[in-house]
Amino acid sequence: MALLKISEPGGKATQPAHHLAVGIDLGTTNSLVAASCGGGVKPLPDAEGRYLLPSVVQYRENQPPLVGAQAKFNAATDPANTIVSVKRLLGKSLSELTALGHFLPYQFDANRDDSSPAIVTVAGIKDPVRVSADILAELARRAEHCLKGKLEGAVITVPAYFDDAQRQQTKDAAALAGLNVLRLLNEPTAAAVAYGLDSQDQGNIIVFDLGGGTFDVSLLSLQKGVFEVLATGGDTNLGGDDFDRLLADWIRSQANSGNELDAAATIRLLHLANDAKHRLSDAATIDLTYQQWSGEINNEQFAELCDDLIKKTINTCRRVLRDAAMTVADIDNIVLVGGATRMPVIREAVTRFFEKQPLTELDPDKIVAIGAGIQADVLIGNKSAENFLLLDVNPLSLGIETMGELVEKIIPRNTTIPVAKAQEFTTFKDGQTIMSLHVLQGERELVKDCRSLARFELRGIPPMVAGAAKIRVRFQVDADGLLGVSAEELSTGKMAEIQVKPSYGLNADAIEQMLQSSQDQAHADMEARALKEAQLEATQLIDAMNSARKIDGELLTEAESERIMDAVSQLQNEIASGNSNQIHALTERLNRVSGDFAARRMDLHIGKALRGESIEAVEKSAD
Amino acid sequence: MLQINNNYFQLFELSESFELDLNSLAEKYREMQVEVHPDRFANAGETEKLRAVQLTSFLNEAYGTLKSPLRRAGHLLGLHGRDVDQVSQSDLGAELLFEQMQLREALDELPDDESALPELDKLKSAVSKKLADRQQNFASNIDQGELDEAKKIFHEMQFLLKLLSEIEIGEEQRLGY
Repeated sequence: MALLKISEPGGKATQPAHHLAVGIDLGTTNSLVAASCGGGVKPLPDAEGRYLLPSVVQYRENQPPLVGAQAKFNAATDPANTIVSVKRLLGKSLSELTALGHFLPYQFDANRDDSSPAIVTVAGIKDPVRVSADILAELARRAEHCLKGKLEGAVITVPAYFDDAQRQQTKDAAALAGLNVLRLLNEPTAAAVAYGLDSQDQGNIIVFDLGGGTFDVSLLSLQKGVFEVLATGGDTNLGGDDFDRLLADWIRSQANSGNELDAAATIRLLHLANDAKHRLSDAATIDLTYQQWSGEINNEQFAELCDDLIKKTINTCRRVLRDAAMTVADIDNIVLVGGATRMPVIREAVTRFFEKQPLTELDPDKIVAIGAGIQADVLIGNKSAENFLLLDVNPLSLGIETMGELVEKIIPRNTTIPVAKAQEFTTFKDGQTIMSLHVLQGERELVKDCRSLARFELRGIPPMVAGAAKIRVRFQVDADGLLGVSAEELSTGKMAEIQVKPSYGLNADAIEQMLQSSQDQAHADMEARALKEAQLEATQLIDAMNSARKIDGELLTEAESERIMDAVSQLQNEIASGNSNQIHALTERLNRVSGDFAARRMDLHIGKALRGESIEAVEKSAD
Repeated sequence: MLQINNNYFQLFELSESFELDLNSLAEKYREMQVEVHPDRFANAGETEKLRAVQLTSFLNEAYGTLKSPLRRAGHLLGLHGRDVDQVSQSDLGAELLFEQMQLREALDELPDDESALPELDKLKSAVSKKLADRQQNFASNIDQGELDEAKKIFHEMQFLLKLLSEIEIGEEQRLGY
């Protein structure tokens, strides 16, 4: 029961040894892992002392996949089996990917439907979740090696602008890699944490994050250890890769190389462009050689070439300021994140727009992982949390389809999460007994311009004249930014609900299945762990219920009390059985029958707490 | 479902009035968030996590309501037993409707390109000024218990804010972002 535990923020009751928890920056181009070890949170190196793990996976016949630098090196010779920038594929349908015009030298499995693309490799069919999981597993191995122990939890970062499908798939990938996800954290928030935690700064921070393939801008306010995201905006299809591509096109046109390039030649050209882009960060003008052509380019030409992309990034800054009702003058600090912000053309554009030099002390490639590591350390309970708290927002509006293919927004963008909002709808036909609900994400008014997240039906509405039924639709976004939707017919209490796992995401069963098939051993471990957890939760709930009845028994009617007692004793008997599903079911049952009681207690205690006493004090006085 | 204090002013220990010290509201909100946020329960059982999510959602809703002048006004009317979702033409009066129509027409008649920006800017500051004036008016009416008049002003504020956001969308479209 929840309210009893409110007295123990961070679970500080028993605080044994240091827990191993890491922050992971799962990037488009490179990934990193950071953890607290020997004073402060630091990125962890591999055996050869390298921090950045290229986010590239090469699948090989009868061998485990190769992840990282070697795979990246092999991409040019084995493009069909070497997956690069998989983050761009997360949460997307095949037709979306094709429409976005990414370079995809892969063979997509023709047997999958459009919404869940997967790549045919020599090692079998791999979907983006699997590929991401292989990258995460590699980082987890690195961390366990460095920290010499088993990881207990991880905070994984995602671009603030990631939509529900992309977030869900990131979480699925972590589950597949065997990681316990403490939280999905928005990358810019992580960056602000890395900069802001130790300094006692107050003020408004802009985080300008241009990674390999994604871009976001966030505005945060920092007050006494609380980071509050005020607004966020961005583009999940804009990144350093796009600058490479423009430069590559330019080189080809300069070299007058008209003939079509095959996959390997394209990759070589992109590497050349990428290298040129990096050299432009250190020199005003650079020399270039491609095939028979040689020439030079300077940063001004490069800026002109990329003018549209740069404008796009600055316009996003404008929109974010507007959403937060602020102006450039309100901004105290600018933090740059992502390797692409090393480009002088970007730094200049940012400095010009904000009329202020950005902070550059921390390595823009490592800052996100460091911030995630700090958050992981707090969440796992190593670091006293004190006032440290991150308040994040949902980046895109969430709504529901109404008559005329219009979208009614239920939760507007930039609302602090977690958030729950309900709205009432009604039937439009006489005698209508089914209502189908279509959940959408996006800013536009028409259904076709928004992203479809899920569809589900509410059945069993009593037949009434059109407009008489009242259906309450409730949206709940959790702290990871993931959405659940329920619909309830108010006169009968008929309910339908869905945890939004769009067709792009794996459902929980699919993950379970994949885990089972790939790691039988791990499965046995999992089963044992599930049982332990179920037993623990059941015991805690029973204890909590017994003491709750002692303290607030007067809130219960006799019938309720009997129902609860009955549920308690059934659960008690089941604990020793060793059947985690059954224990779980009975725990749920006890939760259900005691729900009203819990809510009443909650009202009572929160009411007290909010009148000045802290919640902790209320619980203590009640004990 | 949670039904904790539905008077958001009491929730944040603020006096029940439209004029509000946003800084002390924010400070109180942060203090309460530190207590109940799901991050405090990252290692707890599913039930507790769920409760934390519900409680924080409630807090966020309450804070969001008081922070926004329009939603704060609606909440105050609600506390006085006026349902702002129920609105009839007679609540508003012909004069108000006519004025809103005129403003809207002025917006619709502007050209579709950047040449409209100065006019949009003018319209925006006119509407903002009117809105500020209406808010002040709302504050004094609600304080004096003039609920009908306050409700009418509330709906006027609704109109003006909607107009303002349309002006901003118009600006964005013409600027190309």
